[in-house]
Amino acid sequence: MVGELAGNYSTVVLMFGFAMAAMAPALVISRMISPRKKSNPVKFLPMECGQVPTGEGRTHFMMQYYPYILMFVVFDVMAIFLYAWGSVLLEVPKIATLPMLGFLAIMFGAMAFALYQSGRRRIW
Amino acid sequence: MSAIAPNFKLSEFIKSLLDNIFWIILIVVLIGLPAIMMILFVIEMPVIDGELLTPFLALTWLADPSRILPVVKAFMATDIFRVMAFPGFGFAALLAAGTIFVERKMMAKLQLRVGPFYCGKVEGILQLMGDGLKLISKEIIIPAKADKPIFWAAPVLFVATAAAFVAFIPVAPGWVVADVELGLLGVFAVIGFFPIITILSAWSANSKFPFIGGIRALFQMVSFEIPLILSLLGVVMLTGSLNLSEIAASQSSFPWIVFLPVGAIVFFITMLAELERIPFDLPEAESEIVAGWLTELSGMMYGLVQLGTYLKLYAFAGLFVVLFLGGWNGPMVVPPFPAELLEKGIEMGPITAGPFPGLPLFTQEMLNGALWFVLKTVTVIFFIILPRGVFPRIRVDMLLNLGWTKLIGLAFVNIFIALGLLYAGVLGPGGLQ
Repeated sequence: MVGELAGNYSTVVLMFGFAMAAMAPALVISRMISPRKKSNPVKFLPMECGQVPTGEGRTHFMMQYYPYILMFVVFDVMAIFLYAWGSVLLEVPKIATLPMLGFLAIMFGAMAFALYQSGRRRIW
Repeated sequence: MSAIAPNFKLSEFIKSLLDNIFWIILIVVLIGLPAIMMILFVIEMPVIDGELLTPFLALTWLADPSRILPVVKAFMATDIFRVMAFPGFGFAALLAAGTIFVERKMMAKLQLRVGPFYCGKVEGILQLMGDGLKLISKEIIIPAKADKPIFWAAPVLFVATAAAFVAFIPVAPGWVVADVELGLLGVFAVIGFFPIITILSAWSANSKFPFIGGIRALFQMVSFEIPLILSLLGVVMLTGSLNLSEIAASQSSFPWIVFLPVGAIVFFITMLAELERIPFDLPEAESEIVAGWLTELSGMMYGLVQLGTYLKLYAFAGLFVVLFLGGWNGPMVVPPFPAELLEKGIEMGPITAGPFPGLPLFTQEMLNGALWFVLKTVTVIFFIILPRGVFPRIRVDMLLNLGWTKLIGLAFVNIFIALGLLYAGVLGPGGLQ
């Protein structure tokens, strides 16, 4: 049963594999027919608009927008949970929508609080 | 004029061509044909219907439509054909190539880029081929400190993930690569892989500009994935199904954009963001951070990422058509298959070709569905590439603000519109449809 359900998705994997098998030769052919010269000492350095690069490539990055990533972890799961409700909405009784609206109200409150906190730049 | 071959002479070109043809014929006659004869001498050919299967007989059968048509039909019913050719990779890659060509021409018209008008003398019809040849013949440069396996794999993975996304899109009734029960959730799962591949490619390049581009792609995904998911919930509520074929079939009377225009607008905006197109092309903002996460990709690696981007564009446009514009539904415009071709065959003066009993390879419904799907998809693609010529780019904080407050709010408005339509009795059981 579970295997059958998972087996339906095998064509997606087949498509994934076919695209890989069809497109990887393009890189190989390109590598074979294109010129390869080691003429310049800075040729293989990272691109930095003509300057000789300084420092690390993987630099520090700003945490200014980190709260949004934290919010994403919570509310993405909420959005998928709503699909479990939405796809059976025509079959469940109408009274079953009320607890869902309560859930949405709690989530709206949480989201408003999180957005307010993410707007306070000095605590991040 | 052309700087490639300044000493070009037509007579010498034809002479070299004839030389090559002569040598090919000579080698085939002296080596190829005897080799085939020797192989045929050794192999024992089977006897079919009392006749020895000679190469001549086999070729005759290949030309006989009554023998070859069932083989073709059986092949077309397999998963391999669907993956490789029609609703799958070949079809999508063809539409993607067409999109690249049309986009280059349209940008040339809108922004007075004169280049794409000249390639191939007649209105630049060889531009696409020129681009492809240029990309495949350029040297691939890998940065010295890059993480080489991941850096090589990222473009191929990008194309493959885009192809996996294409697998979910139904083109005509019954013509879909993966007809799965939870198709829409599968689409969300596949979409979630794109930012990961972007981040992997950016991190493995070990360079500053790709890294900034990758971080921006992450922020963009974070702020637009939730509105994208929520804007489609209204359609699922009204349809009661997550299967994309069923969702398309449920719109035979009217497309859902009539009732859920807010959801369609939100989905279109998030679609532009997920496709990294202007005004949301922050991950590859070429006027700020060189080329964003594509900076270190060169030659065919860049070409593969471009192909993947346009496959993704086709898939998103197809998803929009399936969910909001009615998919393959449309008035029947394809004429029925001529019946006399099945019974009598072709008789045009001296030429006669016997009756073809197995001939309609595609049914009328399928051709009509595919035609309407392609027409709608091309229209949506046009509206996706149009903003590139018109709009400026927005800032990161504006992007986050737009995604988190305005689009999520509008997506919930859309959900409540769908709930209201259901409980007011307009749609659903007892309502329209």
